[in-house]
Amino acid sequence: MSSSKNVNARERARLAAEQAAARKRDRRILIAVVAGFVLVVVAAGIGFQAWRTYRSPSAVPSSSVPSSSVSASPATIVTGQPIVLGSSQAPTTITLYEDFHCPHCADFEEQFGPIITQAQESGAARVELYPMAFIDEGSVAAANAMACATEAGFGQAYYRGLFANHTLQWSDPQLIELAAKIGGSSTEAFQTCVTSKAHADWVSSIDAAAEKNGVAQTPTMLINGKSVDIANLTPDALKATITNATQR
Amino acid sequence: MSVPLATEARRAAAARWISTGARLVLGGVFVVAGALKAVDPQSSVAAVSAYQLLPASLATIVGWGLPFAEIALGLLLLAGIATRAVAAVAGMLLVIFIAGVVSAAARGLSIDCGCFGGGGQVDPGDTAYGIELVRDVGLLLLAAWLVWKPQSRFALDRSPQ
Repeated sequence: MSSSKNVNARERARLAAEQAAARKRDRRILIAVVAGFVLVVVAAGIGFQAWRTYRSPSAVPSSSVPSSSVSASPATIVTGQPIVLGSSQAPTTITLYEDFHCPHCADFEEQFGPIITQAQESGAARVELYPMAFIDEGSVAAANAMACATEAGFGQAYYRGLFANHTLQWSDPQLIELAAKIGGSSTEAFQTCVTSKAHADWVSSIDAAAEKNGVAQTPTMLINGKSVDIANLTPDALKATITNATQR
Repeated sequence: MSVPLATEARRAAAARWISTGARLVLGGVFVVAGALKAVDPQSSVAAVSAYQLLPASLATIVGWGLPFAEIALGLLLLAGIATRAVAAVAGMLLVIFIAGVVSAAARGLSIDCGCFGGGGQVDPGDTAYGIELVRDVGLLLLAAWLVWKPQSRFALDRSPQ
């Protein structure tokens, strides 16, 4: 009787120990699976961002491409002076301070870009563009290439292409490929201009000009010199503002 | 004898509810913070670089990877899987974030912490280190609570019985 009790007690202790060991093993497996899950998500995330950053640029969606192109003629780049896109006779001047790697600028461009382009095309407005470059090296490379594209005569289309692909790193090959994608002629002069950062000094002069003009954030928009509150802007309000400015 | 036992049970039940709240808040904040940064790799890398603590190549990897680590940890917390271990790792991350913000403030940098996207340079008068630290310390307390009492309701973790 007492010996069978002992056997039972020992058996129970053995079972309990086995269960505890099994629980411990389960916990270890769970931790390993969880750690593996986190590592896989992080590795996949890094891979995904690398792809987004280094892939080839894509063409601007055709729905947003203007029918005729603004500023198809080459323009000169002047130290401290913005790029002018649109007719010099246009009654309204839209001044834009943007960094090609600033996400809010890309949002701004997506929402309001078509309205501005329309105003440029109808001859109502011209854009004075200050491509600031303070976010990273890609900002500088893109601003430089924007100047090269303006000189080559496809500044407007290139501008839209840069924002349509704003998650890209903007390595030299990407910037050169973009020219072809948006219908510009990727001449040797343009390629040299991009790879040699021919307008690097001009890019710094634009940053200095922006600072001198008291612009601390991008995007900043002025219509005929008057600052526009972009945070509370709607496409209709922008249309009305441009119309009013043009009629005055 | 029965009264203290009932009190004990009530306390344990209350702790489980507090842990549930802590888990959902911490997990939710991590998922949102990670997602806001993951959509914008450029800003994320720029935000990391703005701390001037890592070389450029490492800042890129952290800027790309960290948001996904936050999302993964947040999802695990929301689901209640391996809560104690995940909360411990989340807490370690928060300690690193706090150290980063403190070091930025101490070095006189004028940056946004980039905790929920954005980040980078701001005007000297526009820094918000105080609020950022209070928020991070609050989240750290939630993580610490979960390490102490990982049992919670609506969790996939096995109950203690």
